[in-house]
Amino acid sequence: MKLALRAALFAVLALGHGRPAHPQALPSEPISFADGRVTVGGDVSISVAPEDTGFFNYTDYEHSALRLFHADVTTSIGMGGHFAVLGEMSTENGDRLEAYALYLRIRPWIDRPFDIQAGRVPPTFGAFGRHAYSTDNLLIGYPLAYQYLTSLRADALPVNADELLSMRGRGWLSQFSLGSREPAAGLPLATAFRWDTGVQVHAAAGPMVDATAAVTTGTLSNPLFADDNSGRQIAGRLSVHPLAGLLIGASAARGPFVSNTAARGAVGDGHDGEFTQTAFGGDIEYSHAYYLVRAETVFSEWKVPAVGTPVIDTPLRALATYVEGRYKVRPGLYVAARLDHLGFNEVTGSLGPQTWEAPVSRFEVGGGYSIQRNLLLKVSWQHNTRDGGRVTRATLGAAQLVFWF
Amino acid sequence: MRAERQRTRRAAVLIACVAALVSVLPPRAIVRGARNGAIAGRVELRRVAPPVERRPTVGDLGTSAAALDISDRLKSVVYLDSAPRGAFEQVETPRAVMDQRGERFVPHVLAITTGTIVDFPNSDRIYHNVFSLSKTRQFDLGRYAVGHSKPVRFDRAGVVRVFCDIHSHMNAFILVFSHPFYSLTDNDGRYRIDNVPPGTYNVIAWNEGVSSEARAVIVPDGGVGELDFTLR
Repeated sequence: MKLALRAALFAVLALGHGRPAHPQALPSEPISFADGRVTVGGDVSISVAPEDTGFFNYTDYEHSALRLFHADVTTSIGMGGHFAVLGEMSTENGDRLEAYALYLRIRPWIDRPFDIQAGRVPPTFGAFGRHAYSTDNLLIGYPLAYQYLTSLRADALPVNADELLSMRGRGWLSQFSLGSREPAAGLPLATAFRWDTGVQVHAAAGPMVDATAAVTTGTLSNPLFADDNSGRQIAGRLSVHPLAGLLIGASAARGPFVSNTAARGAVGDGHDGEFTQTAFGGDIEYSHAYYLVRAETVFSEWKVPAVGTPVIDTPLRALATYVEGRYKVRPGLYVAARLDHLGFNEVTGSLGPQTWEAPVSRFEVGGGYSIQRNLLLKVSWQHNTRDGGRVTRATLGAAQLVFWF
Repeated sequence: MRAERQRTRRAAVLIACVAALVSVLPPRAIVRGARNGAIAGRVELRRVAPPVERRPTVGDLGTSAAALDISDRLKSVVYLDSAPRGAFEQVETPRAVMDQRGERFVPHVLAITTGTIVDFPNSDRIYHNVFSLSKTRQFDLGRYAVGHSKPVRFDRAGVVRVFCDIHSHMNAFILVFSHPFYSLTDNDGRYRIDNVPPGTYNVIAWNEGVSSEARAVIVPDGGVGELDFTLR
């Protein structure tokens, strides 16, 4: 009987020879019209996970990165070789559409790798912020530096160290006495979910060196469309590619992050430019054959006013570091893991010195399977620990379906 | 029981033989001792398939220098729907090359026979990662640098879509045939399939994933059967 089956199979194969099979069914290419001057692409992702009661993965009070429907449409309108308008409209969980990015790119000399971008521009600082899309993210969760919410806010300030310490582990909904009294989500070190507004200049010196500088209205942790204080952030990044597959980058940024209203409430008029966020970052990526390894560290320092006793007598510092890797097991299938830690410096309250926020660690492991080239199914498992807050541990499994064109 | 097994085996062998015979014979029998001819003509494209644009990624800090080109979209493939006798007699393992150059696959369309080994050299100074998830042949060559090349053998007939995992606008087609009766057109759409035994054949034209209906053509003894196509 087996032989008969084999013969039948052979017959089917033999009769079917010579006719090429059909390619994949869903579109995988951006839509282009007006002779290629207008190109439209998009991403849609759906992530599902159990409730994150410790708010480890929240990007603001209402959105968890593990329980999210995200859709975006990106458009590029080219105007000759010198000008292009790029924009991205996105929505999360069906909320209203927002302009994630919208800027004019100017290339003064067509043949020279020198570009000026003005508007809501991509982040200059770091490596992950520009590539936070589900298609680029190896896992479902995000690196802590770019997602985890500290208790610090731009529109509200703690009156003293005790008030600051009382908000440890409550970045998803913190509340302070100075400035806005409304509870709201705190700031990450650098957000991957909003982009800043300003002017950015990028130049490349051959294939080995890239340099970018930008002046923007907000800061890494609080990008803005309209400025809320009198200062501007200056950011710069230098990256080198010493050999194929290796990228090493260094970044720095500095700008006032406290809003006018909050600064005035704390120390009166004329001081809003003094309370700055200064950040330094280093990143490295190496890939070869089926491996990809990335590591990035972000150091951030926020200056906040010393108002009441016990005073916050030192800038608030945070250091986040992650290492992640991917290995392709077979065509369309990969496994990935990320080890991540976020730590903070100490301030002295009435009960003695304590880190001003609760340190957090996360280990996430998972993988992705390409159902077709532009339809990716990811699964991940993550374990979070936090030295403070109401929930100090959370183990979460998640799944995500990503479609792009 | 044994007799039944023998009968089943005989039936199976008979099915296989008939299938093989049907598959290698053209719709009409070939005349013994006749001289081979050719099929020639032109594939007219009403509309040239546009090149795949780069995804409009807002995260880039600048413009990429590589330019897009439509010339390789002009090439079509014309092939016999079913092959004449002797089409499968192939002794050497053929080789072909699909280069990665200027963030493009060169050529953009490659037509080969089953058993062909295709080399994928990287001629760019950046990494590329050639892969395909096509059912005909799945492979992922990983990332490799300029000056390196990796081979892939294609043993099944069908269409293989080839991509780069790093540069989403890079794509190519490899059409794998189980017979040698196919031809790649030039940029004007002209083609010629040589060494075709006289007979009547069904011919198909293909361009960028679009296939024509199979059309019949008669190849006379030592002559040329003319057949033009219009696509898109």
